[in-house]
Order: sequence, then C-alpha cells, then structure tokens
Amino acid sequence: MTRKYIALPNGVSEKNFDAAISDFRRVLGDASVLTSAEQLAPYIKTMMPVPDADHTPSAALLATTVEQIQGIVAICNQYKVPIWMISTGKNLGYGSAAPAERGQVVLDLKRMNRILEVDKDLAFALVEPGVTYQQLYDYIKEHRLGLWLSMPAPSAIAGPVGNTLDRGVGYTPYGEHFLFACGMEVVLANGEVLRTGMGSMPNSNTWQVFKWGYGPYLDGIFTQSNYGIVTKFGFWLMPEPPAFKPFVIQYQHEEDIVEIVETIRPLRISGVIPNAVVIAHALYEAPVKAKRSDYVSGPGSIPDEAVYRIMKDHKLGIWNVYAALYGTQEQIDVNWKIVTQAFGQSGNAKILTEQEAADDPAFAYRAKLMRGEMTLTEFSLYNWRGGGGSMWFAPVSQARGSETLKQMALTKQILAKYGLDYSGEFIVGMRDMHHIVDVLYDKTDPEQTKAAYQCFDELLTEFSARGYGTYRVNTAFMDKVAETYGPVQRNVHKTLKKALDPNGILAPGKSGIR
Amino acid sequence: MKKRKLKNLQFGFALAIIFMMSNVWSAQEEKNNTGFAWKDGAEIYTKICAYCHEAQVGPQILNRELPAAYIRAVVRNGNRAMPAFRDSEIDDESLAKLADFISKKEAQH
Ligand SMILES: Cc1cc2nc3c(=O)[nH]c(=O)nc-3n(C[C@H](O)[C@H](O)[C@H](O)COP(=O)(O)OP(=O)(O)OC[C@H]3O[C@@H](n4cnc5c(N)ncnc54)[C@H](O)[C@@H]3O)c2cc1C
Repeated sequence: MTRKYIALPNGVSEKNFDAAISDFRRVLGDASVLTSAEQLAPYIKTMMPVPDADHTPSAALLATTVEQIQGIVAICNQYKVPIWMISTGKNLGYGSAAPAERGQVVLDLKRMNRILEVDKDLAFALVEPGVTYQQLYDYIKEHRLGLWLSMPAPSAIAGPVGNTLDRGVGYTPYGEHFLFACGMEVVLANGEVLRTGMGSMPNSNTWQVFKWGYGPYLDGIFTQSNYGIVTKFGFWLMPEPPAFKPFVIQYQHEEDIVEIVETIRPLRISGVIPNAVVIAHALYEAPVKAKRSDYVSGPGSIPDEAVYRIMKDHKLGIWNVYAALYGTQEQIDVNWKIVTQAFGQSGNAKILTEQEAADDPAFAYRAKLMRGEMTLTEFSLYNWRGGGGSMWFAPVSQARGSETLKQMALTKQILAKYGLDYSGEFIVGMRDMHHIVDVLYDKTDPEQTKAAYQCFDELLTEFSARGYGTYRVNTAFMDKVAETYGPVQRNVHKTLKKALDPNGILAPGKSGIR
Repeated sequence: MKKRKLKNLQFGFALAIIFMMSNVWSAQEEKNNTGFAWKDGAEIYTKICAYCHEAQVGPQILNRELPAAYIRAVVRNGNRAMPAFRDSEIDDESLAKLADFISKKEAQH
C-alpha cells in the first residue's frame, strides 16, 4: 500500500507514477488531475459483488480537448500508465465509473461536453463524450428542432457516446443505438486522430450522413473495445412523429412468452411495430408499485404465489409488453388494427392504451422511454432488495418463443438456487432479443454478495454451455465472457490491440482484451 | 535514461502540435463552442435529483433541512443504490449551490 496514492497502476513504481502525474498536471493543470481519496471517491463506488479495492483508480484526469488527450497518451506511453476511458461514467450495473483493473487512471471526459452540431433537416447530431441525454434534450427543445432521442433507462444522467460505445439500447425505433451511429473521431494510442468513414476526407460534409466511407468499416472496432479514445461522435435522431401511441399488452402465464414472441416477431420484422419492444416480467415492473417486504420476508427467492398476488394487487401481467406506434394518425390507425388483430386472436392478451393506463406509474415511465423523454423511474428496481447491489445479466436470444421460454426458465432456476429473484425483461431487436436480467442483491450483506457473485458466474457458465452468449457484461466478468466466444476471436482482438496500442495503455482488460 | 524519456515526451507534444495544425477538417464542429455549465442549484435538483427524489424512487429530500455537508457527502459517495456524482458532473461550486438549495427551506417550491 502506498501513502501518496490510493492505488498504483500495475507494474508502475511510485517514483514513475509521480513523474507521470506531474506531466499530466503540466498538460491539464493541477485542478484537473485528481489523486486524493476524497476526489476519487465517486470513481470507486460500483454495484458489483467484488471488493471496491479491486477497481480502485490511482488517479482521474479531466480532459476537455483533443490536444490534451494527445498529451495524455504521450505521457501514458512513456511511463506505461494505463487509462480507463469514461464519457458520462454512468455505466451502472456494468462497472459504473470505476476502472476494469485496480490502479488504472480514469480518463474522465465528462467535461468535454459541447454539442457540436444538431442538423434539423438531416436529423443528426455530433457531440463530445461528456454530453448527457438531458443536455441534448434541452438543446433540442430550446432550438425547437423537432427531433427525438433514444436513450437507455438512466436517460438524464447518462449520455449517447458512452452508451453507444458500450453498444447500449433504448426504446424508440432508433433503440439499437449503434445501428444509428454515424462517424467518430478517435484519438489513437500513438496520438494520431482518426475520423472514421467520410470524416477522413478533408472538407467532406457527409461524415454524419454516410456511415461506411471507403474501405473496411472501422467504427465497430471502437465499440466495447480499447483501441482508441472517442472524442467526437455522430448519430442519427428521429424526427418527431405527428402522432404517437404507446400501449401495453398484459399476459397472465409465464408460458405465454412463447405466444407473445411469436406474435411480435413478424410485426417487428415487417416494421408494423417499429420500436424496441420490451417484454417485462412482473418482477421487473413490480418495484415501481410494490414493496417486496409486503409480500415475502426472510431469505430465498420470492415464491411464484407471491408474484401472482403482486400482479393482482398492482394490475400487472406476469408479462407486460410495452410497445408503441409512430407516424401520422392514419398510419397509426391502420397499424393499430393489425396489432389488435394479431394479439386478439388467442384471447390471452389484455391490451391497454394511454386511455386506460396513463396514470399507471409503470406505464407512464415506459411511455416516456418510448418517446425519448427523461425519466429515472426504473431505478426503483433498487428498492426491491435494497443495499445497492446489481449486475446486468444480458444474454442474447433469438426472437423465437421457444428460446425465450428456455432462457427464462434456466435463469429463474439458477437465480432461485442462490435465493435471488428473476427481475427480467426481453428487449425485442430486429431478429434478436436482449434478455436483460437485473441480478439484484443486498451489497451490505456479505452472504448475499457472495451468493450473487457465484450466481452470476454460474449463469454465464450455463448459458454459454448452451450456446447463449452475453452481449455486454460488468467489469468483474469481462475475461470470463471473452473466453466464451472462443480463442480465434480473442486472438484477433489481441492482434488488433498489439497493432494499435503496443504499450497497452488504453483500458487494458476491456472486453477481456489486453 | 531520463533524457530519453524527455525526448519521448517532446515527441509526444510535437505530435500533438502537428495534429493541431493539420486539423484541416471544416469548421463544422465549431458552431457551438460553449461547454455545459449548471445555472443554479434548482436546475441541478430538477435535472438530476428530482427524477428519483420526487418520483418515489428515492426518499424525499426537500423541506427536511438536511445539513449541506451531509448532502455533499451523499452526492460524492453515493448511498447504497444511489449513484455517486463526480466533480466533472457537478463541480464543487455547483454542488455547494445544490446543497444550499436542498437544505434551505425558503429556496423551495
Ligand atoms: C436502472 C438502470 C437501467 C438501465 N437501463 C439501460 C438500458 O435501458 N439500456 C442500456 O444500454 N443500459 C442501461 N443501463 C446501463 C447503463 O447505465 C447505461 O448503458 C449507460 O448509458 C452507460 O453509462 P454512460 O452512458 O454514462 O457511459 P460511460 O459509463 O461513459 O461509458 C460506458 C463504457 O464505454 C466505454 N467508453 C466510454 N467513453 C469512451 C470513450 N470516449 N472512448 C472509448 N471508450 C469509451 C468505456 O468502456 C465505458 O466503461 C441501465 C442502468 C440502470 C442502473
């Protein structure tokens, strides 16, 4: 343990770190180089079931310009100091703002927060990493641009750059965020600045309108990776539709997920339902309305019988399908007919619209998410168990009813073994489902914390054994997930890493890449 | 050894300067030059805190005359499920205004 710093980067002596820090100060100024325990406290808190010490940074750097970042990477190369990049730093449930490995220096780009351009006609934005969805939302409103955002549930406090770089999702028709990314500026480990796609060409004005440029498409290698520092990011925005109709369809039996998925898939693929539909289990929605302690006490996962009581008391389905129609009123009328006919066939579905459900707090926040309005209501998930422990378990499933049922049953069974509840939902992609389960536990309870860790480990093992891969994972399990994708992919990732960052200064460990 | 390090560093800076100068891209991104800054405590409360603390997600915090030092500590360290907020998100000066807003009764609506 060192006195001067709360942690040191792997393999870097205190003397060398002193030198690096004083060079960082020269580039950034004293106030933007944080090393004290008090200054670093907000970078340490995570929701993961591992000791905070495993992810304690040695310092944090607050850069605001590309030139400063170039200066930083030069210093990092010289002293072999690793940096961990964050944009808005709210990767809650995936590692928050803490680095992957103890001692890494956090490069915090939150203050690099200019909205560089929002084009009303072409409906795109170009922003710096520190821009939050709230900031962009306010800007669009203030300038009456008539554009909608798609954002993840932590909306206001998160941002498009960090979210998209981690390949996050939202709930509008633009919900698969990386599909709508268009052009990045990236500072490479050697200090060079790459603009991807059309951005590489001097004086081009098509950087934010044509994704592919010329030659191999590079944007993808800067997502979920550690090959560069993204300093500008372009993406498309959705023109505000003349009309919007959110709705929820409730089902009463867990097996109904088969019917739900079989009904939704053709509607989603054909575009009748254009947005990232959510099929939320009662236990994902319950915390908005109910208290766990009113239904169950003591250890163990919540019994099905209690879940059914919650459903009854709080007007929830066991599955709650949130979707929306967008367009002119005429388009919506036609599509509504198709939707109600499709879901009406079996007689199992209960369809509710704003007329019946506007006052329902779960419906209200889901409707906001589907139209890009700010809300943090989904944080009520954390009141379920209390104690601030959470990991997102996020396996990918085919959009096929039988598959979703299998995944749900397996998840529930493994969670129950460790006394944890199934707080799960499926986010419907074009042909896939992001099966998203909040593994909630009380982090103040050492036993539950241990159980949560083991449970998550088993979930990953069992799912990968059946060929189900996870799309994203918290920083404590990145190596394990990388392993599940096999040695060839790992090798290619490593080869790219060596070529682009020979000294391994950028976020070593991200997605298991070093 | 020391000399080489220095050289490397200079090389790094030289590189940085080259890139600054060779920035031939259009002035497209310079249209809006100002970064974001909070106006006052009320704005921070509305655009961060209220989404939970006025929505029955987190406890009510207004009109409880919570001590400013306590508010600052919770914001910086988080508290159980409440995330921590960094100086880069809410700078010290703005946090002081926010704490003032939350702890003082008369400032509230
Ligand atoms: C209640 C709740 C609900 C959630 N719902 C959703 C949801 O609906 N959808 C979803 O996607 N997520 C969700 N999340 C997870 C997470 O909070 C969001 O994905 C959030 O957007 C990520 O944080 P951020 O945007 O601040 O990104 P950051 O934390 O800034 O970045 C995320 C990661 O991207 C990389 N990165 C960031 N910036 C750079 C850069 N400039 N250069 C290179 N790499 C970089 C880093 O690896 C970093 O760890 C939820 C979390 C909670 C607590």
